[in-house]
Amino acid sequence: MSNLFSGINARLRGTSSKQGSGKSPVSPTSEDGHLSSPGGFARRSKSSSNLSSKLPPLPASPSLAQAITLTSTGDDILNSYRLPQPLPMWLNPAYAKHIVKGNFMTLSSRPKSVDQGEWMAHHVVEHYRNLWNFVHVVHSKEADGKTICNSTTCPRMSAGPNHSYTWLNKTNNRYEPTELAAIDYISMMQRWISGKIEDTNMFPTDPSGVSFSHNPSIANVALLSSPDEWVGKRSGFPKDFASICQTIFLQMFRVYAHLYWAHFAEPLYHLNLEKQLNSCFSHFVLTATALDMLKPKELEPMQPLIDLWAANGTFPPESKAYEYANLKAGTRLLQMAGMA
Amino acid sequence: MDNQGNRLYLNFGSNNERLAATDRTYPTTPSTFPQPVFQGGQPATQGAAQQPQAYQQQQQQQQQPGYASSAGYFQQPNPQQYGAAQYSSQPGAQASDYSSAGQGYGQTPGANNDPNTGLAHQFSHQNLGGAVPRAAPYGARGVSPGQRPRTAGAQGQQQPGYGTHLNAPPMPQPPQLDYFAPPLERNPDKYGPNANNNQKKCSQLASDFFKDSVKRARERNQRQSEMEQKLSETTDPRRRESIWATGGRREGSYLRFLRTKDKPENYNTIKIIGKGAFGEVKLVQKKADGKVYAMKSLIKTEMFKKDQLAHVRAERDILAESDSPWVVKLFTTFQDTNFLYMLMEFLPGGDLMTMLIKYEIFSEDITRFYIAEIVLAIEAVHKLGFIHRDIKPDNILLDRGGHVKLTDFGLSTGFHKLHDNNYYQQLLQGKSNKPRDNRHSIAIDQINLTVSNRSQINDWRRSRRLMAYSTVGTPDYIAPEIFTGHGYSFDCDWWSLGTIMFECLVGWPPFCAEDSHDTYRKIVNWRQSLYFPDDIQLGVEAENLIRSLICNSENRLGRGGAHELKSHSFFRGVEFDSLRRIRAPFEPRLTSNIDTTYFPTDEIDQTDNATMLKAAQARSSAGGTPQQQEESPEMSLPFIGYTFKRFDNNFR
Repeated sequence: MSNLFSGINARLRGTSSKQGSGKSPVSPTSEDGHLSSPGGFARRSKSSSNLSSKLPPLPASPSLAQAITLTSTGDDILNSYRLPQPLPMWLNPAYAKHIVKGNFMTLSSRPKSVDQGEWMAHHVVEHYRNLWNFVHVVHSKEADGKTICNSTTCPRMSAGPNHSYTWLNKTNNRYEPTELAAIDYISMMQRWISGKIEDTNMFPTDPSGVSFSHNPSIANVALLSSPDEWVGKRSGFPKDFASICQTIFLQMFRVYAHLYWAHFAEPLYHLNLEKQLNSCFSHFVLTATALDMLKPKELEPMQPLIDLWAANGTFPPESKAYEYANLKAGTRLLQMAGMA
Repeated sequence: MDNQGNRLYLNFGSNNERLAATDRTYPTTPSTFPQPVFQGGQPATQGAAQQPQAYQQQQQQQQQPGYASSAGYFQQPNPQQYGAAQYSSQPGAQASDYSSAGQGYGQTPGANNDPNTGLAHQFSHQNLGGAVPRAAPYGARGVSPGQRPRTAGAQGQQQPGYGTHLNAPPMPQPPQLDYFAPPLERNPDKYGPNANNNQKKCSQLASDFFKDSVKRARERNQRQSEMEQKLSETTDPRRRESIWATGGRREGSYLRFLRTKDKPENYNTIKIIGKGAFGEVKLVQKKADGKVYAMKSLIKTEMFKKDQLAHVRAERDILAESDSPWVVKLFTTFQDTNFLYMLMEFLPGGDLMTMLIKYEIFSEDITRFYIAEIVLAIEAVHKLGFIHRDIKPDNILLDRGGHVKLTDFGLSTGFHKLHDNNYYQQLLQGKSNKPRDNRHSIAIDQINLTVSNRSQINDWRRSRRLMAYSTVGTPDYIAPEIFTGHGYSFDCDWWSLGTIMFECLVGWPPFCAEDSHDTYRKIVNWRQSLYFPDDIQLGVEAENLIRSLICNSENRLGRGGAHELKSHSFFRGVEFDSLRRIRAPFEPRLTSNIDTTYFPTDEIDQTDNATMLKAAQARSSAGGTPQQQEESPEMSLPFIGYTFKRFDNNFR
């Protein structure tokens, strides 16, 4: 059996924002035989809550927030997200705080001389290690053999009522989207990602292969205009490196989204880990967006938190993540908490 | 406000609600302001169940589609009813808002057309025993501010009205409560021991990650500006290009190095050059580039059993931080299931102990050179904020040029199996030990560079006195105040220096004895036992220096800093600043970069611990107990944060 991540990639995303078709368009282009990239996601607009069934028709997609006119208020934008009530705990500014102070961008802006591929590889690995510290908390077994995130608590890989993700199983050469419990989805994803990271063809480790980033003001080299160039080529990264990284970031984003939507209180808040999670996730978002590894639409499940962090100063104004945020919504959240 | 909050909390009494200061959301609050502390009476599920209904009502009120809360706040026709919202949005008009809010509470008739809301209030009212009626906000979403006050009266419970009921004017609820679920009491105990253990790891790893990343980013920026400086100094395009390319490659290789997991298989062992209870030191060569290192591998289980973890960590910290020529350089640390590895620079000159064994005594000139260098080395360690506590000839290494570097290769030879921290306590109780084999010291504390608490060091810097209470070190060179447990300070290292100097000139350490128990007694009674043999002529200044180091801490030279030693007449003429650049009295003669002539390798069993461990595991699994490892070694709590990677590893 071979598996791959479900869903649709960024290009196709826009066309499938209607009722959650579990069947996601896929472009299985993998040569490694077991997984294809990039993954995507299946939206689940069908909501099981009574609340939403009583709602008047809503904009088809929360991503409309992006298109909301200047006249719309923070409330309008927040409404468009169709968030449950009361708002998720992690949107409470009191719980959106950090273990780190200062400008996170110092950690994610690429030193000018460093090769882009090398920088991407570095962050993929760092964020992967970070994220798995949290996954470990919800996935490790107690004496009774139970995990905190299990197929009863999280029968689906979901990120709130509006998003859930399916896994693509390959049977008879066809990819079938399969609903997996979050724990299974995440474990399979973990295996896939670590397979990539440990593959020295994908993530070369030979120190002699390292190159640098060209600087037109210093050396005149015709670069990156030819179709035969790709990110990281000169440092020995393969042609599909950037797209693999994109998939990894997207998948890691989903895990973060699941942690926020399903495990923020249980157990992370109770275990006093929410600030750690916030810092790792905000660093993650800043990095992934700065590297163009996550597109605005892919951020949907976590958009309100991104708005909040733009408003409360976590995301510096020069960052892409800030650009992707709806400041009004974030400011409104601060107001709601009496913090603005 | 804090007090108020606490008092309020105590009044509630009905639950363990606790709010950290940071959880308070009001920017400014009058002292009587209630803290959002409740929820006890109303099961969360009930609140949830109310949602649809509350929502429906709002729909009926022709409110904007969207989530209930905002609609509730902004569309309510009666301004008196949402003082809280006014408050939050008009911080400048607090006073009037308060009063209007108060009126709202006092006067608004039961605008409560949601029976569930009233019910909820009833619950919490009962819980609160009537003492704090205004504090019933029900974090649960069903209650919209527009429906306040949810007086108990609406349900037929007679409350004469808040205004008369309370002395303080009623206050609006924190608006947060109406949008967000009420604050939740943290309850880590609802999870098992494993989760709580993982919590520690996760928290530690996350903070380590940011600490390391910030440090690296800072250093990177530093290098960046250095590179820009260099670029600006030349206009030669080739030179500029090469500066840029080199900089980019170096940064790139460091990043690559960071994401690459090192493992012992990446190295070939050339020789085992030291062995001890906790591990061994090997001369290794990196397979990839042929570079030579000393690799210390420590057995995790032994470190754990012998309670050495804090010491390992401290050593890793000092070595990682230090960039001093007087301290052996640590390039990287890594670990696997069974071992911690420290990859350090290989110092081919051996150690001072081996030299002393070979030459027995040094001339005064040679002694002056080594003691002067050790003064500088100890000073360097002290400047990093560490007390070495175990300065002894075994820990003084000689580099290629014959100059001194401090380390802890105390693993080299001759360990006893007694390494408990209470070892000295046993000594104090008069229990004697097995006779020591010749001169080798007892390793109480194999990882010798021991940090004292940083904040304590800062205290010391202010008060000039650090008191640290623990007993460590090996008897011969250890200052008496360490044994007696009354606290010691940086100057304990100067005592050790005195004993080493004595040994260099006399041929044995001043308090050496048949067994460590006797040594200990001699040290404590140093006034009686310090004895300069008649047949050895020491210079007056040399003897004076020794006597001003081997003395009670209050009078010890060096208490005020290393400069006190440097200006002693014994060192007259020594140019400390250039000491490391002059030729050393003994320069190791080496035939290659892997020459181990100066290490007693024939006395060391060349079977390494990993091999022995594998054999032991094979035996035990043959006996039917298969080893299983479920956690990745980095995740094992005591060893978190151990891994370290130095930037210049690749670029020596």
